Amino acid sequence: MTTLSLMLRGVASLALAAAAVAQTEDFGEAYSFEQRKPKTRVERVVDKVMPSLVKIHGASGIRGITSYATGILVSDQGHILTIDQILLQKDRTRVVLYDGSVHQAKLLPEDPNLRVRLLKIDPKLVDGKLVPIWPPSAEEAKFRTGQFVVSIGNCFRLAEFSEKLSATFGVVVGKANTALRYRVHDVKYDGDLILTDACNNPGHYGGGLFTLDGRWIGLNMRLLDSKETNTMLSAAIPVRDLMPYLEDHILGKRRVEKASTKVKPWTGIVLFDKAGRQSPPAYVDRVKRGSPAAKLKLRPDDLVVRIDDYSVRSCKEFRTVLSKFGAGDTVKVTWKRGTKIKTGEMTLAKHPEAGR
Amino acid sequence: MIRCPFRHIGVIACAMTLAQPIVAQGGGDPDEFLRLEPVLRRALEKAAPFVVTVETFGGTRHQLGKAGPMDGDAPPKPRPKPVEMPTNKPSPLPQPKPLDPMPPRLDPRDWPKDVPRPVFPPPKKGEDPVVPPLLPLPPKPADAEKGEPKKGEKEGDGEKGDKKKDKKKKLPLTASGFQQTQGKTSGIILTSDGWVMVSRFALNLDPTTILITVPGRGTFHAQRAGEDTSRGIALVKIAADDLPVPEFVDPAEVKVGQWAFALGRTFAVDEPTVHIGIVSAKRRQFGRAIQIDAYTSPANYGGAVVDVQGRVLGIAVPLSPSGRNAGVEWYDSGIGFATTLADIQPLIDRMKEGEILQRGWLGVQFVSSWLGPGAKISGTPKGGAAMEAGIRKGDIILAVDGVDVMNGPHLQMLLSSRLGGDFVTLKVRDKRKKEDVMYGPLALQNAPWSEQRQGQEDVPATFDVPDPEGGSGR
Repeated sequence: MTTLSLMLRGVASLALAAAAVAQTEDFGEAYSFEQRKPKTRVERVVDKVMPSLVKIHGASGIRGITSYATGILVSDQGHILTIDQILLQKDRTRVVLYDGSVHQAKLLPEDPNLRVRLLKIDPKLVDGKLVPIWPPSAEEAKFRTGQFVVSIGNCFRLAEFSEKLSATFGVVVGKANTALRYRVHDVKYDGDLILTDACNNPGHYGGGLFTLDGRWIGLNMRLLDSKETNTMLSAAIPVRDLMPYLEDHILGKRRVEKASTKVKPWTGIVLFDKAGRQSPPAYVDRVKRGSPAAKLKLRPDDLVVRIDDYSVRSCKEFRTVLSKFGAGDTVKVTWKRGTKIKTGEMTLAKHPEAGR
Repeated sequence: MIRCPFRHIGVIACAMTLAQPIVAQGGGDPDEFLRLEPVLRRALEKAAPFVVTVETFGGTRHQLGKAGPMDGDAPPKPRPKPVEMPTNKPSPLPQPKPLDPMPPRLDPRDWPKDVPRPVFPPPKKGEDPVVPPLLPLPPKPADAEKGEPKKGEKEGDGEKGDKKKDKKKKLPLTASGFQQTQGKTSGIILTSDGWVMVSRFALNLDPTTILITVPGRGTFHAQRAGEDTSRGIALVKIAADDLPVPEFVDPAEVKVGQWAFALGRTFAVDEPTVHIGIVSAKRRQFGRAIQIDAYTSPANYGGAVVDVQGRVLGIAVPLSPSGRNAGVEWYDSGIGFATTLADIQPLIDRMKEGEILQRGWLGVQFVSSWLGPGAKISGTPKGGAAMEAGIRKGDIILAVDGVDVMNGPHLQMLLSSRLGGDFVTLKVRDKRKKEDVMYGPLALQNAPWSEQRQGQEDVPATFDVPDPEGGSGR
């Protein structure tokens, strides 16, 4: 890794000049910096992973939409993983490698759930060797709350040409599970998110989250808007959730797609709802006879507070949460009666009047 | 030899000295953070069991910009003590001795009118932990100039002018784009028989239902008890026994610069969240809180702020000097507050009874140009304790509880840590140079103003400080 960190100097830069490939621009000594050897863990991690991260430039023009992002080189055939976004347009996506060389990238199909996408550059046009990183084993890719992390990306497009990407340091704040997810925009997939306080600014998206021993644990996401707390969150997709997509497109392993045939569920609960800007808490007004709710012995004036892990704070949220399930699914319902909290399993049914 | 104290990667001088034996450069210990990780982990494991999730349902969402029941604003009326669930074991709060014994609490109505009020024995010098040694500040030329024309009758006019200025400077109650959502917040278990301390922020919307989820124990219905609006904390009771209790750190042992981890339990039930930082300052908000630089936001308000051993330094709350837009001004900014709990056991007992604690209100305005000794009074608003005690414009308050008052800000400092109903002894010199000692309780801050509060009237937090510099007097 020290040879890489000093790549822009001395012999390496001479070699670059000698083997000039069409798309590789060489700025030679004028654009190289002296660098001392890394000493601390953080410095070592930065030096180790930096060659595997690339800058991505794409379509722009719409105000408020950044035209730059970061990507991670995941194979020596030139596969680059990044967060799917508008800037990634066919024929307009360029990738800048560590040494400053610019390459045209092809777009591979995206993953609609994770909202990530692979790009591909032609490895033959790359001068020198590509330095890919591959997600570590599932055991090694585990993250813990309170673990220190280094996050690397091109925030605010501060790095141009062969300039190094920005590294930010922070801690794994925690993980966000189902309870959070449906209150966050733009997150469709079902796994846990890594929350971190190493900031994800525009352009940082698609960069990597690394532990102090250099393991890749997450792919930086867009800054999330949490409706739960009205705060902005820096989050990353854990690499173990990225594996199926990567294996599919790089190793050629086919995934079996599950076809979903969801029938609208019915509980038999009639909520005490009223029109207005603010939806009232989900108090039960009536329970239909013979319905799943009647089997659970829900009564009028009970307050439904949770369905599975999703907390239900209003009648509106009750419907939102219920729409995630289908008829036949069994959910754990928590409700409040007086000062008692009760829990029971409910098997959602099909609406008796549906399908006639 | 050239030494390079910073971690700048591109410093050429560093590269030149590589041949030298390694000096203290780029941090002495290359693995410092790797060593800190298990420490943080242990603290987290110790503190995790008593950090709980708070969910609220119902209540009112207030419009932007309008005065809502934010911290420091008009509190709800005192509520009855929650019904105690039968419990076999008494569970005292495991903690060090309270630092600052509270003065005896008497009901002022019980005092017979014909009996002269006694003088409180002033505390011996050097013993009172409330009063920090203040050095006299050199008089500011700007203040002196401004103060000159304000004398006698004109003084009152000057006050009014300042008040108007204050009104203009008033910050909007909520920052643009911010609306408090009814999301989850955190809380900490105080005693094993079910007293849980939460941030008042969680109860801002006056929810109809509060649920507390204790990790590994399930969800409980919580009843509201008392609050301390000056500290931004509220107490609730759940019907549970044998809960894990935290160990508290005496605020006197806290040192600025030590690690402080802010915990919360908002995004996942099985694991808390953690933000790391250091203690930035002690004795903030007149000795009520410590300041930390770990990120605090609605995601971890009410959560524990712990030290490296997992002991509780305080509870993360939104506070701000203005007391008005607390929770909005500074969140996620590196300025966070943690109310210390180990030193307020008597107050916690009062809160258990359902009492709403507020800042005490003496009701005096002082002349900012008066440089001392003592604080010269420029006005006594109606309904204040000072008005009722007979303090008038032009009087000078010389001492509070035996401590000589140096100037106006000092008076404010001495009184700001007091709560409504606390008894104070004032030494006052009137216009005829006659000195008098008065003894009585401070008014509940909001009591005379409660009507106006609802009408969005700008009301002084403690008492008017016509400070030309915009409140930097504290």
